[in-house]
Amino acid sequence: MRRALTAVVAVALVAGVVFVAHRPDQAGAQGGGTIEAAVTFAGAPVIEKLKVNKDTEKCGTETAIEKVVVGPNKGLAYAVVSVAGAKGAATAKKATIDQHGCKFVPHVQAMTPGEVEIKNSDDILHNIHTYSTANASINKAQPKFKKVMTEKFEKPEIIKVTCDVHSWMLGWVAVMPHPFFGVTDANGATRIENVPPGKYSVEVWHETLGKQTKEVEVKAGQTAKVAIEMKK
Amino acid sequence: MGRGALIARPLAVVAAVALALGAAPSRAAAQAGDATAGKAVYERRCAGCHGEKGDGKGPAADLLVPKPRDFTMGLYKIRTTANKVPTDQDLFRIITDGMPGTSMPAWAVLTERERWNVLAYIKTFAGEKLKEAPKKVELPKDVPSSEASIKRGKEMFEAIECHKCHGTDGRGDGPSRAELKDEWGNPIAPANLTKRWTFRGGASRTEVATRLANGVLGTPMPAFLDSVEKPEDIWHLTNFIQSLGPDSPHYATLVTVTAVTGAIPDDPNAEFWKKLTPNNIPLMGQVIVDPRNFNPAIDLVAVRAAYNDQAIVFHLTWDDPTQSADEPAKKLFADAIALQFPPQITAGPERPYFLMGDGSDAVYLLRWENGKGVSEASANGPGKIAAIAGGEARGNAVFTNGQYRLVITRPLVSKDATRPTFTPAVFVPVAFQAWDGGAGETGTRMSVTSWYYLRLEEPQSNRRFVIPPVVAILTLAAMLVVVRIAKGRA
Repeated sequence: MRRALTAVVAVALVAGVVFVAHRPDQAGAQGGGTIEAAVTFAGAPVIEKLKVNKDTEKCGTETAIEKVVVGPNKGLAYAVVSVAGAKGAATAKKATIDQHGCKFVPHVQAMTPGEVEIKNSDDILHNIHTYSTANASINKAQPKFKKVMTEKFEKPEIIKVTCDVHSWMLGWVAVMPHPFFGVTDANGATRIENVPPGKYSVEVWHETLGKQTKEVEVKAGQTAKVAIEMKK
Repeated sequence: MGRGALIARPLAVVAAVALALGAAPSRAAAQAGDATAGKAVYERRCAGCHGEKGDGKGPAADLLVPKPRDFTMGLYKIRTTANKVPTDQDLFRIITDGMPGTSMPAWAVLTERERWNVLAYIKTFAGEKLKEAPKKVELPKDVPSSEASIKRGKEMFEAIECHKCHGTDGRGDGPSRAELKDEWGNPIAPANLTKRWTFRGGASRTEVATRLANGVLGTPMPAFLDSVEKPEDIWHLTNFIQSLGPDSPHYATLVTVTAVTGAIPDDPNAEFWKKLTPNNIPLMGQVIVDPRNFNPAIDLVAVRAAYNDQAIVFHLTWDDPTQSADEPAKKLFADAIALQFPPQITAGPERPYFLMGDGSDAVYLLRWENGKGVSEASANGPGKIAAIAGGEARGNAVFTNGQYRLVITRPLVSKDATRPTFTPAVFVPVAFQAWDGGAGETGTRMSVTSWYYLRLEEPQSNRRFVIPPVVAILTLAAMLVVVRIAKGRA
């Protein structure tokens, strides 16, 4: 029995070394694996356009509320993919919310608990108004001369960020208890690296389409692909 | 053992239990409310609006704007704290004084003990959400009002863009106004900073500075303490806001019409009108006939009036955040205002029914409508309005930064019996009606007043400059005569 175990470990180590040698960019430093998530949505995009009645030199004359953004091959953008229950080194991932062109940039992001930097690149008044339950909600004015503010999101939850001056502005910050998460790009794809090996359920959250989960097994040094289709 | 002992024993038990549990006495004994006793008060006095479950969904809630507070969220607009949790004193003050400009009355009718008890009960709705200890907000050092401070406040008002919601002149007509929602998703209007007496949390300098510093929770109004250039700007802003309007509307009871010998300007912005003292008349929602208007948009009209030998001229000023004309497809209607008089002025207390008259007694309406101008009508009730042919009145209106100023000119003497003739020194009944078409007001959805009185002051003749000196000279002469006679005798 012991011999068999030793053999397995040895093989695994060799395989790992070989893998590292071949694909140094992907193998986790802690021997973790990678998850490549592809999130899709078969439905039509939901983008509400509206006319802007103020600050048009900064905000433009028309703006869009992007409720469901669908890219090529049904790829769903702005979905937060996280590995539920994953534990690992607490590599902090900070978030920066930029108010630019009367939009929150990025529209959706994720972070580990801690400080969040809030920038105002617009040279006009915005107010950061958050909707949260675990964290104290914030409603602070950020006039044009206040370029940067720092706030704290210390407890895991998904926080909605709005601006009352420009009611179309909408952003989301997912505060995660671990650093194993990603937000899908315009193609609906995201990569989560250095995930400790194990069986997990991958959780996808989208502001309009809600939540879905899918089981995945992460093996050291390997890439696990997971495809998730969101439904209304 | 009498009745006293029977009461004393449970009290002693309660005290012992409290001691045993290590219950610390609260700040002041009188402030520790009894939630159980408060429940009875709540159900009788508060549940009608705030709901039995404290969720702000009482039977009356649908009719109210702003909506009654949902106590289950533990979110309170008016607080003197830097964090979310208000102090008990904050809540006690609102219960005691009410909230101006809302349906929340002052509950001074309850005893102080009852108010503390109901407060204790209200807090139970939020449960854990009010568990955190309140942390007092620390205001910067007070800067007394001065010309320089008000100037700096105005600069800051512009720099931090208060006008986005509150409007350039502070009348709550900013471009973001229509988009504003509270935490519950209900539309919410920005405060009209020129009407300080409607401020929900009070109009004193400290109260205004506190709202600016820590915001109004559950509403779009953000905290500015960390978002002004220098901390003392909070006070400069406060001083500027205090300079935007009077502390009280000083409502008038009688509208005096000034006698003028020359021409009366029909430009609403003419210096002439600025020199006359405004007579402020409060308006209420029309809630007698359907469809009713429980939440009127226009609550005050400032009336100035003058007359000469030809005409009587009314100058009306009122705030309306949205200038609107008739567009029924968008549920928008023309802004309008009307003066109402009896068709004939008679001595005695008899007047037509104040709400546009009735079947037996008509009223005369002098009405201005955005886009249509001035018209004259005779009404026998809100549903029976007939235009009077041969209109003799004309009007001139301007709209600036959420305020209408309107001049209506009409001949002093009427040609027929459907419209009144104005005579000096006679008390003339007058009433007002107003419509904010942008808020969907039209027809009987309007603001109204009951009858007021208007009086044309007696024309000022030159005799007042002639008679007194003549009397003085005659008196002097008589005295001299008396003196001379007396001297002659001596």
